[in-house]
Amino acid sequence: MTAENVLRALKAVSAGRAEDAVLSVRDLSVRFRLRGGRTVEAVSDAGFDLGAGECLALVGESGCGKSVLASALLGLLPGNAETSGTALLAGPEGAAATDLLAADEKTLARTVRGRRVGLVPQSPAAHLTPVRTVRSQLEETVRALTGTSRRARRRAAEDAAGRAAFPAGHLDRYPHELSGGLAQRAATALALIGDARLLLADEPTTGLDRDLVDRTADELRRHADDGRALLLITHDLAAAERIADRVAVMYAGRIVEIAPAHRFFGPAGPRHPYARGLLDALPDRAFTPIPGMPPELSALPEGCAFAPRCPLATELCSTRPEFTADLACHHPEHPRA
Amino acid sequence: MLELDTVTAGYDRRTPVFRGASLTVAPGESVGLLGPSGCGKSTLARVAALLHRPDAGRLVLDGTEVTAWRHRAPRELRTAVGVVFQQPRTAADPRLTLADLLVEPLRATGRRAEAAARLAELAPAVGLTPDLLGRRPHEVSDGQLQRACLGRALALRPRWLVCDEMTAMLDASTTAALVAAVETYREETGASLLAVGHDRLLLRRWCDRTVEWQDCLPAEERP
Amino acid sequence: MADPRTHRLRLWSSALVVGVVLLAVLVVPPLVQLDEQAVDLSRKLLPPSWEHPFGTDDLGRDLLLRCVYGLRISLLVGLVAALVATVVGTAVGAAAGALGGWTDRTLMRLVDTFSSVPHLLLGIFVVALFRPGVWPVIASVAVTHWLSTARIVRSEVLSLRTRPFVEAAISGGATRWRVAVRHLLPAVLPQAGLAAVLMVPHAMWHESALSFLGLGLPSHQASLGNLVQNARSSLLAGYGWPTLFPGLLLIVPTLAIAGLAGVWRDRLNPRRRSELML
Repeated sequence: MTAENVLRALKAVSAGRAEDAVLSVRDLSVRFRLRGGRTVEAVSDAGFDLGAGECLALVGESGCGKSVLASALLGLLPGNAETSGTALLAGPEGAAATDLLAADEKTLARTVRGRRVGLVPQSPAAHLTPVRTVRSQLEETVRALTGTSRRARRRAAEDAAGRAAFPAGHLDRYPHELSGGLAQRAATALALIGDARLLLADEPTTGLDRDLVDRTADELRRHADDGRALLLITHDLAAAERIADRVAVMYAGRIVEIAPAHRFFGPAGPRHPYARGLLDALPDRAFTPIPGMPPELSALPEGCAFAPRCPLATELCSTRPEFTADLACHHPEHPRA
Repeated sequence: MLELDTVTAGYDRRTPVFRGASLTVAPGESVGLLGPSGCGKSTLARVAALLHRPDAGRLVLDGTEVTAWRHRAPRELRTAVGVVFQQPRTAADPRLTLADLLVEPLRATGRRAEAAARLAELAPAVGLTPDLLGRRPHEVSDGQLQRACLGRALALRPRWLVCDEMTAMLDASTTAALVAAVETYREETGASLLAVGHDRLLLRRWCDRTVEWQDCLPAEERP
Repeated sequence: MADPRTHRLRLWSSALVVGVVLLAVLVVPPLVQLDEQAVDLSRKLLPPSWEHPFGTDDLGRDLLLRCVYGLRISLLVGLVAALVATVVGTAVGAAAGALGGWTDRTLMRLVDTFSSVPHLLLGIFVVALFRPGVWPVIASVAVTHWLSTARIVRSEVLSLRTRPFVEAAISGGATRWRVAVRHLLPAVLPQAGLAAVLMVPHAMWHESALSFLGLGLPSHQASLGNLVQNARSSLLAGYGWPTLFPGLLLIVPTLAIAGLAGVWRDRLNPRRRSELML
């Protein structure tokens, strides 16, 4: 990490529209070294700001690197991963920001995970211990995070359950006695215990039916409205449309466009051809797939990774487009009128 | 014609998953069955795919009743129904390459000689490139693996297709691509389709008609 | 999982011991051309020295040489017996799991019946049916050791049988035989192989126990159990080494084999295999 990067990121945190940025990511790259000398470029030069009360949806096909990005922010990558760049998490009440990528495991475990970043998991059923009640799991987390007295633990657990709209009457149930929606709320309550200002939701709606998707998404939105920053990682565009303020589109490890949600999903539409293709694949739109398949992250082309599938590709696309003005494309489409 | 007539099925005779469900899929028709998760529609899909024997009621395929079988439904009927499941990870044998996966049904039915030719048709039909065919499931993404699972279901040119939440784990583009592959196959062969899922928008767009799960059940069983 | 350093230490020390043992039992006997049965009553019960590193026994035979031959016999019996037991156990377990119904019930009641008899008693019963020799001992080990493998393989097969990939194979026209051979068996073989390796030490101990009781190999044959048995009288007379060295040779290699099997088991854990999380 260079001093320049830190300066740039600090400036972003303290200046301009990112004044109240809870999370400010710059030039985040993750490489996996595999046996046999192969390298997988899972995330390349990702950058975005996320403010309090804001929901940023990170969307893209499965395997585009968006879950790796979330794991990098939590310091949960396997040993063969190399990260670079900065991810500054604003400190509590004016305290210094923490660079999540540079922090050691002890800092992450003692001061960040659970306390300043809450994780809403993909499958709540797998996230909860099947042999213990929701209450005992919540209280255990309270104890691990704050070490308060028994009575205070009980209240803190009930508070967290209340914030996640988990009914108090169900606290003494075991996870298998809960419906899918309640299990999701229990997992969210666990994420909320530390009163973290940043919530990371990694595919929270996969495999749920539409009603449950809507309910889960709305509840996440409510936490953003309470002043938390919400990073929603999903391939479900409908869920993103429902709650996101801004949408970041990821393709082959790179963020290719960041757009306000109302423009992205509205009549104007996104500007990057890949983002347009993704929207056109929705069953309530053209329902036509983008031809071809995404490239391997271990064998990315020199130029624009989307060029082989892009209807507008020209010779220009053999060089990689810079990410400027929230877009990385040589021939962006103009917003539809 | 695929007919389920007041079928009761479950994993334990005393507490069936559902009672008296009825559903008909006409020749060449595509029917979307809509229901929330946990309602029993996956069990119905397994019954329709001849993988689960109903406890009561009749299942009729083109006039042949296939209700009473011991270990397995007769092979010629089983292979006339192709099935695709929700989770490609658990639906693919982790030890086989995608190419082996695609033609396994041909090998299993003693049509080894046709395997190479059929593979050459199937792989492009489901959008799999040659370099992917040599890989094993853990080396490809969910979407690529689901393409292979669809290819396997089409390998024996079934007259019926049963897709149980085929696209629930997939992104929009892969979903549209898989649906397009199914529809191309159906145009070529006139096969009928039973697509089970919870995504109303998707099934309305994809199928000739959609049926709500509770409308399959007799009035007294409706939730 | 243990920290990587102790992990590596375990792997390499186990591999070293197993390597030395294999080298000793494979290379030494044909190379040295010495007679491990050579009796020299003038040199009986000599303590360990440069000439006889393990000392000599009550008939003046070199104990190092006898231990190497003993280990050779014990390992051979252990390996063959473990192989036989694993093949039988896998076949029975796979059949019970894959076929189900009354086949399953019959086979598993058979397993229960066999396990309800104490292992050593059952083993003694088997060897007692034949004249002393290598094959009755192998049979005795196999009869008592296939049970656990059968249970492991059956439960693996049962959990695999309901996986969607098996249903997909059935839907694709696969017969029950093909499902078992093509999809189920390859999935359980690594587990069965691990069980086989873990069984080798057990088999060696079983052989030694039988030989110690005088029911195993003919007493002139230098198996580890026979060596300990023969040295018992010397132990009472105050000579420790004739029992010490065969005993150590029984313990150390079996621990090393178990150590290697442990490393293999960790490798089988699928979470280690995935290097990527995309």
